Amino acid sequence: MYLQRATGRHLCAGHLAEEVEGRVRETMAADGMPPRGSRVAVALSGGKDSTVLLSLLHGIARESGGLDLVAITVDEGIAGYREETLRAATATAARFGVPHRTGSFADLFGETLDRVVEGQEHRACSLCGVLRRKALTILARDEGADCIATGHNLDDEAQSVLMNWLRGDQDRLLRDPLQPGQGGFLPRFKPLREIPEKEVALYGVIAGLFSPMPECPYRHTALRGEARAMLNAMEQRFPGTLERVVQGQRTLARGAAGGIPAPVGSCARCGDPASDHLCQACRLLDGRSFRPVRHR
Amino acid sequence: MRVELPDGSVRTLDADGIPVEEVLARLGVNPVEVIVTRNGSLVPEDAVAAGDDEIRLVRISHGG
Repeated sequence: MYLQRATGRHLCAGHLAEEVEGRVRETMAADGMPPRGSRVAVALSGGKDSTVLLSLLHGIARESGGLDLVAITVDEGIAGYREETLRAATATAARFGVPHRTGSFADLFGETLDRVVEGQEHRACSLCGVLRRKALTILARDEGADCIATGHNLDDEAQSVLMNWLRGDQDRLLRDPLQPGQGGFLPRFKPLREIPEKEVALYGVIAGLFSPMPECPYRHTALRGEARAMLNAMEQRFPGTLERVVQGQRTLARGAAGGIPAPVGSCARCGDPASDHLCQACRLLDGRSFRPVRHR
Repeated sequence: MRVELPDGSVRTLDADGIPVEEVLARLGVNPVEVIVTRNGSLVPEDAVAAGDDEIRLVRISHGG
């Protein structure tokens, strides 16, 4: 039922599922994550990737007994979109019997994303990313998690590399993405990072995990959409492009002399690691009705 | 053949015995971005579609 274009192999449903599960385990083993006995906060948006992620980690936790999972969902406050995915996230956590914590931008920061981006919708995606990352960290720490698992897939990783090139962000290009946790941030790992998005979607269909979900209304504003279109066009003509883009950046980062060090200061407002006086999230919300949460 | 597009609209193609990938090409759709069913079953893009088949394209929705 599936042609794996990069290798030319045809896979039936059973073999695709086996291969996805096997590659996820290999990725986790290669990254040394999570350490045995960890409490893992699983970022669960309710979309296809995080739903598949929770399903896979639940299966691994059940077999190994050495993982303690808690699902975390962040409600950014995007009208007409997040309500439905929240319901899906709640149903998924319940299906796997995983404790589920939700938190909203409004509760954590005093603002919904819709309010934050008013007048600057073209920045919605990047603003959302900064604040969502902060929200995940706050909630995961509150739940006593040792690390955070996110559902980024191979396509996401390749898009991020291309976006960093397009932005001229040499810091990010030369930073080894597989470095262990930076400073005070909770370590993150991405078990699906080597799985193409299409295979994640097919795995979810095979496993009966989900129905089609709405798409974020801000997706058209994002540079990521352009990067996705470029990379998908290249992947169609030159199968394996996504994987080579990601591997290439990894090799570059490891070859760079020492790489780029992580931020070493602390945010004056919330105490999180920051390369400046304020962390990205606090800088973004500066002057708004932000309620900082100190972690130390 | 009857083809349901990701947005729910339906196109009828006058074709028989062509690879699904060619169906996608005629519609301007990248196989990397969609899942395809033929008469309700998932198929790879090198599967052959017949004139009386019902093809459905589901876009792989973004955001995880």
